[in-house]
Amino acid sequence: MGGCFSDIKGGKQGIGGTPQRPIEEAGGGPNDAVDLFYRSHGLHSLFTPLELSLVGSNLRDRDITSKSDPIAVVFAQKNDGKLEELGRTEVLLNTLNPVWINKITVAYQFEMVQKIIFHLYDVDTKYHNIPVKTLNLKDQDFLGEASCFLSEIVTKQSRSLTLNLHSKNRPGVSTNLGTLTVHAEETVASRSVVDVVFRCSKLENKELFSKSDPFLRISRIIESGGSVPICKTEVVDNNLNPIWKRLSLSMHQFGSKDNPLIIECFDFNSSGNHVLMGKLQKSVAQLEQLHKEKTGANFVLPSSNRAQEKVLKGQLFVDHFNEKKQFSFLDYISSGYELNFMVAVDFTGSNGDPRRPDSLHYIDPYGRLNSYQQAIREVGEVIQFYDSDKHFPAWGFGGRKPDGTVSHCFNLSGIETEFEVAGVEGIMAAYASALHNVSLAGPTLFGQVVDRAAQIASQSLSHHGNKYFVLLIITDGVLTDLQETKEALVKASDLPLSVLIVGVGNADFSQMEILDADKGIRLESSTGRVATRDIVQFVPMREVQRGQISVVQALLEELPGQFLSHVRSRDLKPCNFGGAQTFA
Amino acid sequence: MSKFYSSISISSRTIEITVLSAENLKSNRRSIKKNAFAVVRSNVGNDFRTTVIDTDGGSNPKWNDKLVLDLPVQAPALTVEVHCKTTTGNRLVGTATVPVSDFFGGYVPENYLQFLSYRLRDQRGDSNGIINLSVRTKVPPAPVYSCSAASASSSAATVVGVPLSVGKNIFSGVVTGLPV
Repeated sequence: MGGCFSDIKGGKQGIGGTPQRPIEEAGGGPNDAVDLFYRSHGLHSLFTPLELSLVGSNLRDRDITSKSDPIAVVFAQKNDGKLEELGRTEVLLNTLNPVWINKITVAYQFEMVQKIIFHLYDVDTKYHNIPVKTLNLKDQDFLGEASCFLSEIVTKQSRSLTLNLHSKNRPGVSTNLGTLTVHAEETVASRSVVDVVFRCSKLENKELFSKSDPFLRISRIIESGGSVPICKTEVVDNNLNPIWKRLSLSMHQFGSKDNPLIIECFDFNSSGNHVLMGKLQKSVAQLEQLHKEKTGANFVLPSSNRAQEKVLKGQLFVDHFNEKKQFSFLDYISSGYELNFMVAVDFTGSNGDPRRPDSLHYIDPYGRLNSYQQAIREVGEVIQFYDSDKHFPAWGFGGRKPDGTVSHCFNLSGIETEFEVAGVEGIMAAYASALHNVSLAGPTLFGQVVDRAAQIASQSLSHHGNKYFVLLIITDGVLTDLQETKEALVKASDLPLSVLIVGVGNADFSQMEILDADKGIRLESSTGRVATRDIVQFVPMREVQRGQISVVQALLEELPGQFLSHVRSRDLKPCNFGGAQTFA
Repeated sequence: MSKFYSSISISSRTIEITVLSAENLKSNRRSIKKNAFAVVRSNVGNDFRTTVIDTDGGSNPKWNDKLVLDLPVQAPALTVEVHCKTTTGNRLVGTATVPVSDFFGGYVPENYLQFLSYRLRDQRGDSNGIINLSVRTKVPPAPVYSCSAASASSSAATVVGVPLSVGKNIFSGVVTGLPV
């Protein structure tokens, strides 16, 4: 049932701009690591990244004492009919005609038929300061659904399509649930980010018993003449001379520094009917000028009666203006940042006696590769592409060494002092020989291998680390001690390290999903320390083999994001960029 | 009162702690509305630092406030507390203990900026949110050596001392030992 009270605090937040908390995941959208891999193999960019802007109108009212607080969620329909979420807009307060600011990025593949489904919900739960992706859709009120093919939008001249909303499972029946307009634009990858602090003076008072509660909304003018909002500031209560928090705008949001932007100042109303106090049009270059000259620009109020707009006393000032560069994953890699891969192979008894054909470790005399060999080869091809020196530290865990002891981190090469092997072939050879020398034992514990990888990663920090490490754990399954692994991962969570767990065989890998904290639940150690960031990714090989996802895609999916969260939080730049590299 | 400089090397380290933010804070099972602030204590003596108050952050306050603290070498941990300022006084929302070994003494070099997060627990021991910090240990200044007196030293090296005040006699100038 619709709730009575909207989350007013949530409605007052700033929206849009680029994330300012450095540790937030910087991924999302098409993966340039995957793209580079394919391009290097002769497969050119198979898609165009598009941004969808959504506008709803005449939505159904679900809240009792106020209007709905709508959010739009975009899904792609896969071949088997299942829906995969592509992204969500932000939640807008109290409106039946939402103009969402947050865009959804979609990869447009022109040779494929891509069906896009939109679901609109009225958010009833509190959403202030909570990341939108953690909102549980089942708790919200469904407002309507629409669908279309991506090609339908792209082939229209205006790149906009208006769809009627209908209730689920009844597409033909028109039930007057309102409409949704989708506008698509190509994203232009760009590096420049502009930090601005806006201030206003002498704003008009639009309220009776107190002062206005102003906020700014910044929009970009699009080709068809309309405008698309790119961000809004937070609301400052009761103030006619407000100064807002720093806003970060990326060039791909505002286009170019000379593109005119519309800046509107509204008085916030919890009813959702914000009153326009004034607007003006300035490009980013002009805003920079305002900052340099320390002058203000007057707001105007468009008038419907006279042709002339009314110039207001209220002025906009730019108190802070800073242009900085935000680099992509590829910028770092191509500048000399090294990725170093490490491999750990599971030698626990659950794999089955290697002499038996049904064992995951069975070496077929006719040359057919077993699950581990397949995984090493497929994964190896990808990592070899990105690894700088093609020498991989390689370990085994859970096996009994020739001297009789069980080790949870032994060198795959079999030599005490040599923990590295050369190339993917080196890993394959070391693996095969290890099967002769090491007998399978147990239990399945990752902790020591993660600790060893963490040790190597942290030691590299002293040598002006331009290195990022990726540990690949190939395992058949179920961990004996989940907490032990969590401890090791939490301790390693602030290092330049990512852990990719590749699951072979048919075991139940639900534990791995806990470690790959995709739902936002951070790992916690028994001492009270919480993981700084999510450094784990899990890939089940059987899904790869069924063709549902590609190895490349699965492995590299979270890697750019994890890498960027590490370098951006410390303000590290690509290697040869402007002078000395300081590591935080 | 006599005052001696004894030969010690480092007695404390300077720690820069930036209290970044906290997540999911509750008080009496309800999310707190505003006015949260954090206090960092060294647990030795009564040394502590306080952040600014976040007036509108609610249960997910953001401070980004850098605090500088001198931590004695033997101190095993820091304590971080989150309080909520109310009209009736300050209410303790949650506490976390930050062991020094989490940011010092491992392979990570000094002066390296580290990001750490901890589980906050309320007075009953129930979990109450997470606190996010960044920590940097400043390299300590070079040790100051002194000798207590120009005592007979069999070493041939020249010993240089610093002025002492012993009782009522105040030596002005430097005491230098000479090889015997």
